[in-house]
Amino acid sequence: MEFNVLIGGEAGQGMFSVELELSETLSRLGYPFFATKNYMSRIRGGHNYHMIRVADRPVHALSGKPWDLVIAMDSAETERRHRPSLAADGIFLGADRVGQIEAEARETFRDPTASSTILAGLILACIGAEPSASRPLAPDESAARALAKGGEFAARWGLAARRVITPRPGDRCKLDGNQAIALGALMGGCQFVAGYPMTPATSIMHYFASVASEIPVHFEQAEDEIAALNMALGASYAGLRSMVATSGGGFALMTEAVSLAGMTETPVVVIDAQRPGPATGLPTRTEQGDLNFVLHAGHGEFPRVIFAPGSIEEAISLTRRAFDVADRWQIPVFILTDQYLADSVQVMEGRVPTKMLRRDYPVFEAGYRRYAITDTGVSPLTYPGLSEARVEVDSDEHTEDGKITEDLDLRVRMVDKRLRKLEGLRKEAVMPSRAGDRRAPTVLVSWGSNRQIVEEAVEALRAEGIAVSSVHFGQVYPLTAPMARGLARKRLICIENNATGQFGQLLRRELGLKVAHRILKYSGECFTVAELVERVRKILG
Amino acid sequence: MKQDIAWCPGCGNFPIRAALEKVLKELPVPAKNIVLTSGIGQAAKMPHYLPYSYFNGLHGRSLPLAVGIKLARPDLTVIAVSGDGCHYGEGGNHFIHTIRRRLDITILVCDNKVYGLTKGQSSPTTDLGMKNALDPQGNLNTPFSPLVTALAAGAPFVARTFAGDAQHMEQVLRESILFRGPSVVDILQPCVSFNKVNTYAWYRERLYKLEEPPRDRQEAMRLAEIWGERIPIGVFWRDGQFVCREIRETFRRPVTEAAVAKLLDTKCIMMR
Ligand SMILES: Cc1ncc(C[n+]2csc(CCOP(=O)(O)OP(=O)(O)O)c2C)c(N)n1
Ligand code: SF4
Repeated sequence: MEFNVLIGGEAGQGMFSVELELSETLSRLGYPFFATKNYMSRIRGGHNYHMIRVADRPVHALSGKPWDLVIAMDSAETERRHRPSLAADGIFLGADRVGQIEAEARETFRDPTASSTILAGLILACIGAEPSASRPLAPDESAARALAKGGEFAARWGLAARRVITPRPGDRCKLDGNQAIALGALMGGCQFVAGYPMTPATSIMHYFASVASEIPVHFEQAEDEIAALNMALGASYAGLRSMVATSGGGFALMTEAVSLAGMTETPVVVIDAQRPGPATGLPTRTEQGDLNFVLHAGHGEFPRVIFAPGSIEEAISLTRRAFDVADRWQIPVFILTDQYLADSVQVMEGRVPTKMLRRDYPVFEAGYRRYAITDTGVSPLTYPGLSEARVEVDSDEHTEDGKITEDLDLRVRMVDKRLRKLEGLRKEAVMPSRAGDRRAPTVLVSWGSNRQIVEEAVEALRAEGIAVSSVHFGQVYPLTAPMARGLARKRLICIENNATGQFGQLLRRELGLKVAHRILKYSGECFTVAELVERVRKILG
Repeated sequence: MKQDIAWCPGCGNFPIRAALEKVLKELPVPAKNIVLTSGIGQAAKMPHYLPYSYFNGLHGRSLPLAVGIKLARPDLTVIAVSGDGCHYGEGGNHFIHTIRRRLDITILVCDNKVYGLTKGQSSPTTDLGMKNALDPQGNLNTPFSPLVTALAAGAPFVARTFAGDAQHMEQVLRESILFRGPSVVDILQPCVSFNKVNTYAWYRERLYKLEEPPRDRQEAMRLAEIWGERIPIGVFWRDGQFVCREIRETFRRPVTEAAVAKLLDTKCIMMR
């Protein structure tokens, strides 16, 4: 059983507040849900909408089914756009009804913003949530009354318990993708973030800025992205695990410093929350168009690792891991997310490794050589000021003790040393995750944020008797031979939010895997489960 | 130090290096707590020729590196040393904003008024009309005024010194490093290979020393604009009231699991 809600209106009309109030209460009541948004790059006006799917089982994608409830905060646009996709027995709450709720908020609560809470209460009543159950969970008495008032409206309009959904007991928490990244970073030991605001990465910076007063972390707003990554490298050199977060346009400015990280072997984690490009593109929409860019960013040759989490759990665990990998191998590690994952809120299921990662602070004698050549390619790393050992780091090709050199034999040995790390990195690569019937001849391949949409589509297809499975790459670089095991003889359908099938090409280049079909979407919107099922069905005939 | 130094004989960087070595050695901070950052250029090689920790980064980027280091480690004495092309050209934006950050970072500029390493092109401080390979007609741009810009950006310590006057240099460098706040020192540095105008002799004819720092910024500004037949050197502005930004100690104070759990305000995350 599930209930799909859309709340639409102009930017600034309060749809986001309804989503926040509702998702907060839903998660406290123990309802599995998934929420995401579609918004324009403007502060007022336009047309934005929030989509919330409540279910009696874990859900992690938009179903794509007709809406059970559409709430229009505006007078015409939401109705024009979304009423046609209302279910036959769906509820449409137009501007007149929303107006009554707003009047109530002003009169009874003397607070126009109370209407968000009332609307949340109304939606809760639609799914049969007990107002008495939500009451003690409300942040304060007036919120509790507003939630109850929503229930009264639902009863008056005959909407109460329209589709009863039973919550699932258990401890869960709700997070959006960016919160998950920030938490993963904290667990990975990150203590320094520098950045320059850019949608959809900004909330990662917000998170660090807001917690900085309580815990020993630092956020610095840089003058530009060039400075941001250089600051992070400075902080990393000085001894803090550091990170930057940006989107494609900001990352373009960072590429110079990515190369610097490669040459100086300075650990750092870089988040690229992708949005459609090129250039400024569609600032608030979603796309997976930066894979090739991140893969090749920075001049020269040096090892790197790229993760692309496909769920909240993975956003936490892979970000956490990114700091460990960056530190142990002294390389830049990238996390590719996108607006869809960044802005989607969901209930976290499953276990997450929460043990905090710690770094060592080894002390060396004078004569310490920052770039000592080793078998693994990893040189001893320490930080200035701990002893008489000097930490000498250089962007030019350098000797083992970090001095500029034009010794061309040494150059070769240094390149080999750096690239040798790839051998070790391949050994500890994160294997892709598989779902569905492994014997099925068709495999849906995804990377990054599409994972859970694909996994639900596989379930739906199997329920129809279509034999498919899925494989999701949470690590997209380096790709290793074991990752391809069992895939060579399958019919691969690669699902990506871009126009050219970048990951499919990478699979072919790195692993020799041939993608038979591609399902691509680059309108700036995410896939829904129904849409994906439809497109796979079409391919399979 | 037994090191092959990549500067031309007679280069103004040699006396700057010597002065810096002397000042740093006599500094009342342990040598291990001194960190130099630099960018790219001839001057940017300076840290390689001094016995301290350093991060020699990219062209124009010595300052964001210095900022990151200082924020992470307020216990370190951070000095960014590079050329005029590096600090004022490629890194011009960082120059302004690093000053605005109110951190205790010393910005030293070996100002030879040309791009040395790339063979003598115009730099932001090159005089109007000066000819070189990329400006055969003569430089068409108004020379950038580092001291005026630093003052305008709010630098609480602004000075100019001359590579040909060791004593003056030592005194100004020492004062700038000991000053608690963003300090800027423009060091007039003859480039014997590419700048045939602003030579040692040219400077010696024109330089005069400021007796004592001006009393207010307006006066400092006025003096900073003087460039021509007479050129003042010395401390142009020293703000005795300046308060640095507070930096919390984070190094070796990791975030605890309990703190993260509290932030999250939920139980699910505590599963192992
Ligand atoms: C991004 C980038 N652009 C250009 C260069 C080439 N380059 C190296 S040094 C330099 C100018 C150096 O001039 P300055 O900073 O005044 O130092 P000097 O050599 O005169 O001491 C330039 C343009 C570079 N290394 N990196
Ligand atoms: S080119 Fe000029 S600045 Fe560079 S080393 Fe030679 S004299 Fe010095």
